[in-house]
Amino acid sequence: MTRPRHKASASDALWYKRAVIYELPVKSFYDANADGIGDFPGLIEKLDYLEELGVTCLWLLPFFPSPLRDDGYDIADYCDIHPAYGTLDDFKRFLDGAHERGMHVVIELVLNHTSDQHSWFRRAREAPAGSIERDFYVWSDTDVKYADARVIFVDSERSNWTWDPVAGAYYWHRFFHHQPDLNYDNPAVLREMLKVIDFWLELGVDGFRLDAVPYLVEREGTSCENLPETHAVLESIRRHIDERWPHRMLLAEANQFPADVRAYFGDGDQCHMAYHFPLMPRIFMSLHLEDRHPIVEIMQQTPAIPELCQWALFLRNHDELTLEMVTDEERDYMHLAYSADPRARINLGIRRRLAPLLDNNRRRIELLNSLLFSFPGTPIVYYGDEIGMGDNVYLGDRNGVRTPMQWTSDRNARFSRADPARLYSPLIMDPIYGYQGVNVEAQERDGSSLLQWMKNLIGLRKLFPVLGFGTLRFLEPANRKVLAYLREHGNDAILCVANLSRNVQPVELDLAPFAGFVPIEVLGYTDFPIIEERPYFLTLGPYGFYWFELQRRDV
Amino acid sequence: MVSTGSSSSVVTSEAASAQVDIVVGLTSCNHASTVDAMTAALHDGVVRHFADASSRFVLADCGSSDDTVARVRASLGGVAEVVEVASTPTTTDLLELPYHRIPGKARVLRGILTAAKSLGARACIVLDAGIDTVTPEWLQWLTGPVLAHDFDLVAPFYRRHPYEGALTKGIVYPTFRALYGVRLRQPAAGEFACSSRLLDRFLDEDLWDRDGSQVGIDLWLASAAVSGDFRIGEASLGVRNHHAHADETVDLGTTVTQVVGALFADLENRVERWQRVRGSVSVQQFGDSAGGAAHQSVSIDPERLIESYRLGYQELRDIWTSVLPPRSILDLRHLMDKPASSFRLDDGLWARIIYDFALGYRLRVLAREHILRSLVPLYLAWLASFIIEVRDRGDDAVEQRLERLCAAFEAQKPYLISKWRWPERLRT
Repeated sequence: MTRPRHKASASDALWYKRAVIYELPVKSFYDANADGIGDFPGLIEKLDYLEELGVTCLWLLPFFPSPLRDDGYDIADYCDIHPAYGTLDDFKRFLDGAHERGMHVVIELVLNHTSDQHSWFRRAREAPAGSIERDFYVWSDTDVKYADARVIFVDSERSNWTWDPVAGAYYWHRFFHHQPDLNYDNPAVLREMLKVIDFWLELGVDGFRLDAVPYLVEREGTSCENLPETHAVLESIRRHIDERWPHRMLLAEANQFPADVRAYFGDGDQCHMAYHFPLMPRIFMSLHLEDRHPIVEIMQQTPAIPELCQWALFLRNHDELTLEMVTDEERDYMHLAYSADPRARINLGIRRRLAPLLDNNRRRIELLNSLLFSFPGTPIVYYGDEIGMGDNVYLGDRNGVRTPMQWTSDRNARFSRADPARLYSPLIMDPIYGYQGVNVEAQERDGSSLLQWMKNLIGLRKLFPVLGFGTLRFLEPANRKVLAYLREHGNDAILCVANLSRNVQPVELDLAPFAGFVPIEVLGYTDFPIIEERPYFLTLGPYGFYWFELQRRDV
Repeated sequence: MVSTGSSSSVVTSEAASAQVDIVVGLTSCNHASTVDAMTAALHDGVVRHFADASSRFVLADCGSSDDTVARVRASLGGVAEVVEVASTPTTTDLLELPYHRIPGKARVLRGILTAAKSLGARACIVLDAGIDTVTPEWLQWLTGPVLAHDFDLVAPFYRRHPYEGALTKGIVYPTFRALYGVRLRQPAAGEFACSSRLLDRFLDEDLWDRDGSQVGIDLWLASAAVSGDFRIGEASLGVRNHHAHADETVDLGTTVTQVVGALFADLENRVERWQRVRGSVSVQQFGDSAGGAAHQSVSIDPERLIESYRLGYQELRDIWTSVLPPRSILDLRHLMDKPASSFRLDDGLWARIIYDFALGYRLRVLAREHILRSLVPLYLAWLASFIIEVRDRGDDAVEQRLERLCAAFEAQKPYLISKWRWPERLRT
């Protein structure tokens, strides 16, 4: 088959607003060389699956050389591929294959820290104090500086300082002790990072997810998060990219409240996108409470962002369902509601996949995806969630949500031809989520499967640009179990109505400004009665939702 | 020097770099017998209707083995400047020779448009050199609206016998119109005139290297035009008679596969457009709807078509059940028993059949070629029904009948959209 060749970023400056992003770890997707670890040749083999699914952007978790003590976020060499995943040539072939299918590729850029195995750190600890090489990292003779900075990984780290006997000094780390923070007060660090950026953009990568971006710079007497100096670093990076690489995208990982995350967009001169972290737990909370208030409240607290910027939305990802951005009482509620089993808890969050969090209830899964795909932002689907994969809370850290992709019911779920004992992680094998029942092959054959449903939803999302570009306006029906909102862009308007409850719900909506319009139910292309001045009455089934395209009757 | 893309070369006359008003592009392939008259008529048209405009002829020949190229040079030499866009057909071109018999059609068309852009043409007209009914007025009716009235695309409308061009009448036009909302009656015609604005869009479109482009390019350009913010017109040119070579017989199955396949393939690429369109609008008419030579009489025996349908039902019903819902299969079974006198394929059923085949094609429920070839007996059933209804009736009555058919395609469009959006319902 002849495919027109695309250079994915080349033609559409706002591609990230139209995108449906699919997050995947290379190691978990498909193993082509039978060593038990997924790799780029395997990923290339599965590009057709991803194209068929309809996603338009692939976000790859770290694949760089690394001792893998933090699943690759401890990088030992920024400009190469971990040998377990393949070679740079394999990566280039993957990139070409994705672009030929019209998919963009976003990779990780861990600006904040390296592995302690990185040559920069090995050099730094040997270098004289005060030298440029030493100052690639943050050192101190004591462990009391920056005392106002919190410890993030509270389950495993007691301090942000660790003593290095070689250097004879403490080094600063906001995450694991084997991940020393880079020192952006040293201009040489930024220069090196810009070389890394150029390396990948030259290959054709379409964007970077900037990991742990609030922590780049430290200042005494502060929380060492979201500092102006950190934003200055981001502005420098953005300027550098815009001058050389048009239409490339930066996505900030800043697990902060929306008002603080807002700063990462700058005046449209820092990051193009940023995650909306606090929305995700509130969606789960609203569902359990059967009350729209948590969702509406957090969205009302969400500031406007520059026109060319975009929120990145997700239900689940490779980390725990983070509960840092909720109150203590809300956190307690979430733990009671979603992680009664203490083994499901890690740090301040819950290490579960989407389907188990929702008790494998298909209607709830569909409802939450309908919110993900219709809220203002770009949706991110975590690999395996499109087939309702389960997790394994008995695996350490967050490895329980990073198990091999389940392709078929055959041995190793056809993820790998290696001996089962050699797999990088055990497969999910429990009676509910086990690969024998939950796998791509089975769901491709089943016209009513979650996979087919997700394909359809992704198709619908792409059909209506208003969902990527439009404004959000909540309606306020008396029934708080129903969430209703309008997405508007130019002449396009979509009305979304969702029942957060397990029971049938009636709702009356004030749609008077749209009197004379016909709501066309988007999934079935069904005309509903014309809107008049009086309240518009609807009933919704348990966890039911509607998307209506509002069209003038004369159109 | 004019640039024409990667696989073509150019032999150009001097002064090709000067900006011109009109580019007259000719696609040719062993058309020595018709090209003299055509170039004469076109040159006459330029002189008669656009005397104040500057013009160039661009010849895109697909490796003619006769003296087509030499004849063009001879006939226009001294009276007009000719840019030649040579294009040798590839092996693939020859193996996949399309029904219109121009190998590498997309490439030669791209060559003409690229040359026109390079020449800064305000209007570009493209014609097939095998047509032997071209008059000087064709140039006026196709190009005039672009130059004088700011139209972006002027497509031809050819007078045809009611039974002629039935694939267009029964499938292409109703589907194209319902989907894109523009009543362009012969959207897959190989001839057209376009503005510089549309020409730029054409060249920017991501369709030139797609699978099937050498067959589908004409239709795809039309859908590109109606999908954008362009002014569309239609010129009645009378009868189009295309000179046929002795070996030019393409079987119906191949023609249906190529034409309908091109139509279906394009749907996938313009979903955002056609799913947002409701109803349809007419386009402004130019030319002489009553003029030109009379079309040739055609005789088709509907009994034979019905017999082919019945045979097809027996042999292909299993394939059809992969594509069509049970209700349609039952309706088709009832049709089996109808004598010719009452043999009627309901318009709504026919529209749903086409839409279900488009969905089956999209979802690859079977190999696409199998799906398309299995449509042939159904098409013959429609054709038989159509002939029985319109025989012995005048052109106006035929037009009214087609109008009712198109209305049915528009009315059934929600059926297509709902199934397209939620394909789980394919066979419901």
